[in-house]
Amino acid sequence: MNKVLRLSLGHVVFIVAFIAIWEFASANRLLDPTFFGRPSGIAAYIWRGFVTERTLWNDLFYTVLAATIAFWAGSIAAVLVGLLFAMVPKLHKACEPYLTLLNAMPRIALAPLFLLWFGLGIGSKIAVAVSLTFFIVLSSTVAGIRGVNSDHLVLSRALGATPGQIFFKVTLPSAVPIIFSGLRLGLVYALLGVVGAELLAAEHGLGQVLAYLQSTFDMDGVMALLFLLALLGLSITFIMNWLERRLLVWQ
Amino acid sequence: MNDATFIKPAAGRPAAGAPAIEARDLVMRFGADGPSPVLAVDRVSFSLAPGEFVSLIGPSGCGKTTILNLLTGLLHETPEGKLEVLGKPPREGNPDIAYMLARDSLLPWRTALENAAYGMEIRGVPKQERETRALDLLKQVGLGDFADKYPKALSHGMRQRCALARTFALDSPVLLMDEPFGALDAQTKLTLEDVLMNLWSAHRKTVVFVTHDLAEAIALSDRVVVMSARPGRIIADVPIDLPRPRSVRKLQSDHRFHDLYAQLWGLLEQGTTGDE
Repeated sequence: MNKVLRLSLGHVVFIVAFIAIWEFASANRLLDPTFFGRPSGIAAYIWRGFVTERTLWNDLFYTVLAATIAFWAGSIAAVLVGLLFAMVPKLHKACEPYLTLLNAMPRIALAPLFLLWFGLGIGSKIAVAVSLTFFIVLSSTVAGIRGVNSDHLVLSRALGATPGQIFFKVTLPSAVPIIFSGLRLGLVYALLGVVGAELLAAEHGLGQVLAYLQSTFDMDGVMALLFLLALLGLSITFIMNWLERRLLVWQ
Repeated sequence: MNDATFIKPAAGRPAAGAPAIEARDLVMRFGADGPSPVLAVDRVSFSLAPGEFVSLIGPSGCGKTTILNLLTGLLHETPEGKLEVLGKPPREGNPDIAYMLARDSLLPWRTALENAAYGMEIRGVPKQERETRALDLLKQVGLGDFADKYPKALSHGMRQRCALARTFALDSPVLLMDEPFGALDAQTKLTLEDVLMNLWSAHRKTVVFVTHDLAEAIALSDRVVVMSARPGRIIADVPIDLPRPRSVRKLQSDHRFHDLYAQLWGLLEQGTTGDE
């Protein structure tokens, strides 16, 4: 406990010192605030955005909403397709080269196309994010199902298990940890896809705000947005860790 | 040696006197249709009376496991000759058979209790009944206090105890065991062998026990069947006249045990060097 306390105290001292030096350097022109912003300015921007002018809530809402929808849609589709591939290996084999090709493409490059198809609203960024999430979750689902322990299969067959019993009692539960690590990555990539698409063009969203602030040289705002996005990514990791601990106690 | 007398013949099962397992002139060729068929088992004949404990021993690759797999019906290729379990040809998922593998093959997402109940679950035993029986068996193997633990929290020996509980909980008349203690250290192995002896004395199943550990085979069995190197043939079928109940630990200092060991070791050496 004492050790933990000392460690967290160390972090606090480091962060306070870091911010103090940054602030001091910006105030004395050792560091150009035009390029690096300054901590007090960043804090003021966040305060305005969430407390006094409250404009950032709306953008945060759109970004989180789009990432959530994309995550669910992409993951559910991927797990279903993965299970279908497990049941029909021939279909998997037939689809594999096309999937490999699509997966090899830098998906963010699809954003201009999706913007044309789905417009500046929430549809285009969901499409970009789904295109990322889907493949990550699909490949982990397939890997998870392939990784089933052959001893478990032999034992179950010797016991007289039906294919359905083997699937639901052995294959699927054994694939869950690997599918879950795919879902964790899938959520991070859903956020990446949404913000990437917003940077290009969007009506609302943190990425769109970031692009605007950058074009107007508002470095305090840019830094504030980067900080917010990091926090968002961090909370995703926390949520997934918590879920994993709850769902996979046996690991 | 004929233990059949104190086994009550259940309904639909062969009467006392009929063998529980019978193999006659069993020949198994893998890839018989291909360019290079492999003769794994060559004209093997043996039979087990109900309630008998017989070990199959021989050098690796001698077809011991092949014979077990043939009995379970898990192989896709069919052998020549006669092979019957309780008067019926082998088939996959035969409820008369409980199969135990070398590795514990516990499902890591199930607790010890749920693992011990797994076999019964597949075979459609109602939930209440299978949990009662699984817990009872866990107590018999000394895991009563670990029913709620996941396999990751159990040692190798405990995991294999749990696998024993799962196997015996099935209450199948025939047990096929493929080197179930092969992966354990010497001390744990002795303990587990005694656990198996206690279970077997209490439940009296017909057991085919595959091993390459000669001491283990002698300590546990009514008979030891010695096989030669590939192609597997039976070179000796030796009755073990050590009195029961046995303690595997105490046998370690029994001179009759060591005589049998020396005798069987000689036979095994012959088979390994291919002295035919």
